[in-house]
Amino acid sequence: MKRYFLELLVATASLLVSVSAFSGEDAEIAKLATRVCANCHGPHGDSVSSAFPRLAGQQAAYTEAQLKTFKDKTRGDPYAQAYMWGMASQLDEDTIKRLGAYYAAQRPHPAWKGDAARIAQGRSIYENGMPEAEVPACTLCHGENAHGKDSIPRLAGQHPEYLVKQLVAFKSMQRANNPVMHSVTDKMSLEQMQAVAEFAASK
Amino acid sequence: MQAPGNRTMGILASAVAFVSLACFAPQSFAVPSFARQTGLACEGCHTVFPELTPFGRAFKLNGYLIDNLPQVKGLTTDNKEALLLNWLPPISIMFQTSYTSTSKALPDSDPALSGNSQNGQVLFPQQASLFYAGRIAPNIGAFIQMTYGSDSGAFGWDNTDIRFADHANVSGKDLTWGVSLNNNPTVQDVWNSTPAWQSPFDQRTSAAPTPAAATQIDGALADSGVAGLSLYGYFANAFYAEFGVYRSAPQGFGGQAGAGPLDSTASNVVRGTAPYWRLAYEWQQDRSSWSVGTFGMNVDSFPGEGATLSGATNKYRDLALDTQYQFIGDESIYSVQAVYIQEKQTLDAIAGQSNTLKTMRIGGSYYYQRKYGGALGYFATTGTTDTSLYEPGAVFGSANGSPDSKGWIGELNYVPWQNVKFSLQYTAYNRFNGSSSDYDGFGRNASDNNTIYLLGWFNF
Repeated sequence: MKRYFLELLVATASLLVSVSAFSGEDAEIAKLATRVCANCHGPHGDSVSSAFPRLAGQQAAYTEAQLKTFKDKTRGDPYAQAYMWGMASQLDEDTIKRLGAYYAAQRPHPAWKGDAARIAQGRSIYENGMPEAEVPACTLCHGENAHGKDSIPRLAGQHPEYLVKQLVAFKSMQRANNPVMHSVTDKMSLEQMQAVAEFAASK
Repeated sequence: MQAPGNRTMGILASAVAFVSLACFAPQSFAVPSFARQTGLACEGCHTVFPELTPFGRAFKLNGYLIDNLPQVKGLTTDNKEALLLNWLPPISIMFQTSYTSTSKALPDSDPALSGNSQNGQVLFPQQASLFYAGRIAPNIGAFIQMTYGSDSGAFGWDNTDIRFADHANVSGKDLTWGVSLNNNPTVQDVWNSTPAWQSPFDQRTSAAPTPAAATQIDGALADSGVAGLSLYGYFANAFYAEFGVYRSAPQGFGGQAGAGPLDSTASNVVRGTAPYWRLAYEWQQDRSSWSVGTFGMNVDSFPGEGATLSGATNKYRDLALDTQYQFIGDESIYSVQAVYIQEKQTLDAIAGQSNTLKTMRIGGSYYYQRKYGGALGYFATTGTTDTSLYEPGAVFGSANGSPDSKGWIGELNYVPWQNVKFSLQYTAYNRFNGSSSDYDGFGRNASDNNTIYLLGWFNF
């Protein structure tokens, strides 16, 4: 009986080792993303917890820029400090660039489905802004489909709770690495942030 | 009525059993070594230490390998990694100090005297540990703990989990797999519903009595000293399977030649190896995670303690079910853990009796901003009455031979910083070693062992 247990152990280990090769266009970065980043950001950048942003389909230049601000500690919101300052500390320029490209190439999370009334309220802010409060339309930078462009992030399919947290952090200057977003959010209420976040995520 | 001589023997046997149990009571620690290595705050891996978050579980399953420290590197001639060593070792220290007061003072340890021990024991330290916790090679990491215990007044070997970990791509899904070398069944587990790390955490030492009976997988086997090797796999962040074997490997065993080989002077010596297995499923949705699992082991052991390590063995078949729910919000964190363990004993090396021993624990905790929190738990151990196993003895014995103990444990916690915790804990027994009143045959009631326990816990 004991012999069979040992044989089973060896056979299972051999099987596992035999399938342990990764494939893909950038196997080394895929390996890093799978072994490290995926623990929070999910397989292929599709995170489960709203504490951590979805990276799948994100603009490569935006991911790169954020990793650089984590590394040089110029993005200092609480989660950035608790998690990403350490995680990005040893990344070199080449790895940062390849991580950006890797996540940009992953399939984005489908559109978020939420409360229709709140999404309708968010649509108005997203598409028209709030002229009375000098809040510009989000479409101007993030695009009508909320896919972003270059260093402007994709918002579509993102966790709404994560987007709200970022808007709050921009407003409070906890996240002080984007003066434009601070001025955009300065006169927004929490309710307005929640509405626009839900609309953007629903794209 | 026991003869005085038998009573003394009972006291001694019970005290020895108790002290050895207390030394291996569930210990649970958070390790700043990991924070130093990863650059992550404690909240990355812990809700509040020592309970693990989903990331903490992944970090452990990945062999403690995530490393953001500068490295000393070595390469082979074909440019493969031959050395990957942290520039600075991930070392850390834990210091626990405590105050323990029981409802009624314990009798003096000298049975010839009728007085009581001093009640309200200060331990400074209760325990102090030195950890190496982190990566030690490209695919190998370790959690190694040496602890000074106030029980022994000496440093001893404590929780150890050295593991190899790697990944495989199976049908497009990730499989984290690895091998763990460890010294306590379930110390390698990642859910806080299994014995080694279950919440709420009873950190009390011998300053307060704890129940005598425990199943093999709930500390009794680790108590006698084992080493285990297990192979595990975690597929698609959901399905976990592990199989391993344990063999006796006590520390500090005198025997006939210092460190062994084991002989009749040892106790609870595993015949061959004891297989251990674990299956679990984890479901994650946004900030919530829920796991259900089962684990168990088969132990055939020689009792030793004067008998040769041959012939009939005592057979223990442990089967357990466990579950955990966690919600980790930005402000509020709450979790519930439950475990049920059933052990069937066929004690051929004693008198051939067939017994059962069952343990159930359920507990929940809440924290606000990871700073203010509390926990409440219920525990119950019940089993076959057996006067040859559970002998009478003052405080630690059982007058009726029953292993039954039941009670509640509640605690309030203040965590001013993520690596410092103050706990006020109260343990209340409805039943202790078989009875609620005069359980030991010496006039002590279960409620006399109710305990107020104040703990200061520093990790740095």
